[in-house]
Amino acid sequence: MSEQERTTQSRLLRGVHRTVTGLHPALESMLAALIGLLIGAALMYMWGFNPWKAYWALLRGAYGGSYEWASTLARATPLILTALTFSVCIRAGMFNIGAEGQMLMGAMAAVCVALFKMPPGIHLIVGLLFALIAGAAWSIVPAVLKITRGVSEVISTIMFNWIARWLALYIAIFILVDPSRAEKTLTVPVTARFPILVRGTDFSYSFFLAIFVALVLYFVLWHTTMGYEVRAAGLNPTAARYGGIRNKRTMIVGFLLGGVAAGLAGATVVMGMPPSYAAFGGGAFPELTNIGFDGMAVAMVGRNHPIGIIVASVLFGGLNAGGRVMQFYGSNPVPLEMVRIVMGAIVLAMSIPELIRLFPAIKDQGERLIAALRRHGRPASKEGSA
Amino acid sequence: MNWIDLVSLLRIALHAMVPITLTAVGEIVGETAGLFNIGLEGILLISAFAGALGAEAGGPVVGLLVGMGVGAAIGLVFAVINTYWKGTQMITGIGINLFAMGLVAFGLIQLGAPGFHAVPRAAQVIKWKTAMGAMSPIILIALVMPFLIHWFIKRTRAGLILKAAGEMPEAADVAGINVNKVRLLAATFGAALAGLGGAYMSIAWIGSVTKDLSAGRGFIALATVVFSGLNPLLALLGGFIFGFFQGLAEWVKTLPSKPIPSQFVSMLPYIVTLLVVSGAIGRVRFPKALGEPYKRE
Amino acid sequence: MNANDAPANARASDGYFLRAENITKVYSDGTVGLREATLEIHPREIVGLLGENGAGKTTLTKILSGLLPPTSGRVTSPKGVVRFASPREALDFGIGMVHQHFALVGTFTATENVALSHERPFSRLRLDQARERLKGLMKESGLHVPLDVPVEKLAVGEQQRVEILKVLSRNVQLLILDEPTSVLTPLEVDELFLLLRRLRDGGTSIILITHKLKEVQSVTDRIVVLRHAELVGDVKTSTATTERLAQLMVGKAIEGESTAVELSAEQLPRTGARSKTGSSGESILHVADLVAKGNTGDVAVDGLSFNVHAGEIFGIAGVEGNGQSELVESLTGLRRVVSGIATIKGIDILGKDPREIYRLGVAHIPEDRWKLGLVLPFTLAENAILGVHRWKEFRGPFSFLRWGKINRHVRELMDRFEIQATGPNAPAKSLSGGNQQKLIVGRELAKNPAIVVASQPTRGLDIGAAKYIRDLLVEMRNNGRAILLVSADLDEVLALADRLAIMYEGRFMTECAPTDLNRQQIGMLMGGVAYKEVA
Repeated sequence: MSEQERTTQSRLLRGVHRTVTGLHPALESMLAALIGLLIGAALMYMWGFNPWKAYWALLRGAYGGSYEWASTLARATPLILTALTFSVCIRAGMFNIGAEGQMLMGAMAAVCVALFKMPPGIHLIVGLLFALIAGAAWSIVPAVLKITRGVSEVISTIMFNWIARWLALYIAIFILVDPSRAEKTLTVPVTARFPILVRGTDFSYSFFLAIFVALVLYFVLWHTTMGYEVRAAGLNPTAARYGGIRNKRTMIVGFLLGGVAAGLAGATVVMGMPPSYAAFGGGAFPELTNIGFDGMAVAMVGRNHPIGIIVASVLFGGLNAGGRVMQFYGSNPVPLEMVRIVMGAIVLAMSIPELIRLFPAIKDQGERLIAALRRHGRPASKEGSA
Repeated sequence: MNWIDLVSLLRIALHAMVPITLTAVGEIVGETAGLFNIGLEGILLISAFAGALGAEAGGPVVGLLVGMGVGAAIGLVFAVINTYWKGTQMITGIGINLFAMGLVAFGLIQLGAPGFHAVPRAAQVIKWKTAMGAMSPIILIALVMPFLIHWFIKRTRAGLILKAAGEMPEAADVAGINVNKVRLLAATFGAALAGLGGAYMSIAWIGSVTKDLSAGRGFIALATVVFSGLNPLLALLGGFIFGFFQGLAEWVKTLPSKPIPSQFVSMLPYIVTLLVVSGAIGRVRFPKALGEPYKRE
Repeated sequence: MNANDAPANARASDGYFLRAENITKVYSDGTVGLREATLEIHPREIVGLLGENGAGKTTLTKILSGLLPPTSGRVTSPKGVVRFASPREALDFGIGMVHQHFALVGTFTATENVALSHERPFSRLRLDQARERLKGLMKESGLHVPLDVPVEKLAVGEQQRVEILKVLSRNVQLLILDEPTSVLTPLEVDELFLLLRRLRDGGTSIILITHKLKEVQSVTDRIVVLRHAELVGDVKTSTATTERLAQLMVGKAIEGESTAVELSAEQLPRTGARSKTGSSGESILHVADLVAKGNTGDVAVDGLSFNVHAGEIFGIAGVEGNGQSELVESLTGLRRVVSGIATIKGIDILGKDPREIYRLGVAHIPEDRWKLGLVLPFTLAENAILGVHRWKEFRGPFSFLRWGKINRHVRELMDRFEIQATGPNAPAKSLSGGNQQKLIVGRELAKNPAIVVASQPTRGLDIGAAKYIRDLLVEMRNNGRAILLVSADLDEVLALADRLAIMYEGRFMTECAPTDLNRQQIGMLMGGVAYKEVA
């Protein structure tokens, strides 16, 4: 083989190498999940709990039967949406940490359907519209601040989270409050609820809405010119400008889409969760809290891809659903909060790139595989006209 | 508002300033070296909790030290992941926040009182009686630290090294500086200061630990860092501004007739932070290598 | 290697300063940077390290200067094996490197940059002492720089001087310079070489990395040639001919049309490279009194006026940093101008969006293909539509992208331009530099442009790819397109342009045909000497 052929071949092989170990985005996520669970187990053990019993309860509570699956998917639904919020904005090159606040505003807007009557179905759709507009409105301001004044969206979205929390509390306690039970808002009427899919659970058609939104966003990002521009600007704003893309516009689009998804997440909770179909201002929204932050974890584990997000949400939804069972299981049950610890540990593990490199044994296997490929590699086709 | 109210407002402002200023100054050290830690919120929370536990076990001084130690430990983990292991700083920070939320909530349940735990009087840092009322001595530390750090960065060779590591790690490497080690030390120190701020909250100021004790202060500290342009003295000012508005919010709550609903008052610190940050941007310049892991090849 | 290329260091009785034995370097992604290289460096000599981009020159010197560990092999000195775990250790040993992309902290002053390598960590910063020391050093070496200005505000030549001073302040015995002349005017190059000779006479060893044949012959005592990660030649400069060196660099005999363009313009064959008609077609690009500011706020383009016609290549030569980038950006929608006129076939293009400008028939081959021309994580297909992604042929109803059509288009491009890749879905970063550039050129040509703005089109490419691109430009010219060629490679401009201008500090020193001036005159113009003094 001539020199040129040799270098070309090594370059092509590197390409193959990348595809082989670039199953490894998915592998990496799984590894991170495993590490998170292990850390959780270690902590449980340290604090005198039995990790195996706890995880067994977790597993059964998440995937043990059709009721359990229903509960898991119900928990997964809003997570898919808030994960999409984070991921779409990441693809646009920004960190939108504001899903929590955008979701709350969406929830409040959705509750507004209780103020008027409408035929069933349409009532639901109107509620969804309110929610997505509210979510978008809440995310637009940080976007504009970033574009006009260069304000870091990390800081602005978080400030808006806290402002939203207090604003939503005010709305829930003073404006949309249920006259008969002051700790909750008005109940979303039957005409505006998501029909339940599995009787006796809280698994409703809202799940399909989430899947639908995920698919729509997938198509938008990878199959439309606007989505193309958003991704390009997110990866290389300078080249995007060269390509005639207006980065300010892509940023706005990214944030809008993200806000819409988060707003819808809030709607799925108040319009899809029996028995109350309302938000509880009294306890500072226990049914809504942390959906935004957990969604970020889902996004990262799902590698910011709609398909990955759906898979990851099943994992995190399972953690939540299973946790509820785990906290009552056995003589020394593990409190629900352990689940959040595990989630945090998973995200920490995710932040280390190429985890696989840290494990020499796995690295060896990978290298042996590459060497085998090299031996069977075919010589490259002719090089250019040099 | 009369004289007494003004003094009271000042007192609250100074107290509220402490966690912000300490955390912000610590983060300034870290960011000067090139590491951006958004996990400060989680560090504040965990060290508040750990500090309370430590104080109950061994007294207030132990509590403060434990808080600093825990903060430093988390900072160390963050630093190792993001220097030697070339991690993504934003994600590590988010992970720390999630982890902390879970850990503290979990820990509170273990202590028997989900969501809230009062720190016994004996474990708290004693407040000094001054003309303005009872004030925590930690306030002094928060007032002095910015000047110390400012002098350190500007006038020692170590400060030069710090800046080089954040601005152009290649140049520092060629000059023989171990960039990763410098960043590690800087981030650990910064997190230790945040840990002090957290322990202060639980054992020297508020006197209790709740699930969301930090209430966004970690992020407000980040906003303060932006506002300060990595100048510790401006961070002091920023911390005071925030403290002032928190004090104002408290004062409004004590008014007999409530002109504004308490929810809007509670929003005030965050709105003010937002305004301050929006106004400050444009003249701020950050180290060129901030947020990027350094690779030699 | 034949007998003529045998190591010229047979005079081993002189003793050596450093020896690299069988150094091999394999990078973590599998690329071989260096293969079994053996080299000896003696005191009091200037060694030229010659090779194309990617031949292994930087790898070798990075290993010598402690920045990289070798995969195998060792470095020895008369005292024994030497191991450098960091640049600092190499520096302490006496080896200092002046990098191509300076290792300077932009916000620091020259004094602070030099002080960085000196004092102990927790000492008080004694900048005043550092200043005094630096002043003395400047006097000794003859290099002068402003000491209290942030380095990023200095001109590139001055920055390089700071970099050199930084290294000299450590009393190095081996000074390595990586492509130092690419940012200097010909006058500054002469000054630098004077300094190098002075240092050499004082006992220092010097390694000069370059890909420029003329330079390496003018200042070195010995030339070492690297090709495809192997050391293929080690000859005395006095006995080496240009042809022989070029042959070693490229690997086969050079004749006729396939000449390496590093050869001087005088040696290039003339046929085919020049346009047959004297002046060409209509004026496509018209620029009048264009003024634009650079990123620092200073004027970068200072009232330029020129025309580019169909069927001609108009070349702008000059050392980088004299406003060329800003000019190109102004004409391609990437920079706002202060005043002036620029039109394409009569239609104003200033202040317009890049997309609108492309629609008017402009193609832009950018000077930095990684930052500007490609989105590296994107696939070939995704990159192939950058800038034209909204065109009707690629865009269906509801703004859906027609991936089928796009993929077909990419395959055509891959065929026509012989782009080596696994397919349209290969990530752009997996391609070699040459193939990436071909993709960009192909993409731009597919717009069927009236004018092609090519900015440093062959930068960083190996000779084969560079020739391919240059041939393409000539072909485009022959097909009646207008070409605006901006290049810091003087030989390239001289070989390809029908008319050229020499740019210095935002102005044209002169506009002429390539044959109007000799090389020395051009060099002076590039260095800012006024035309009337030169002609």
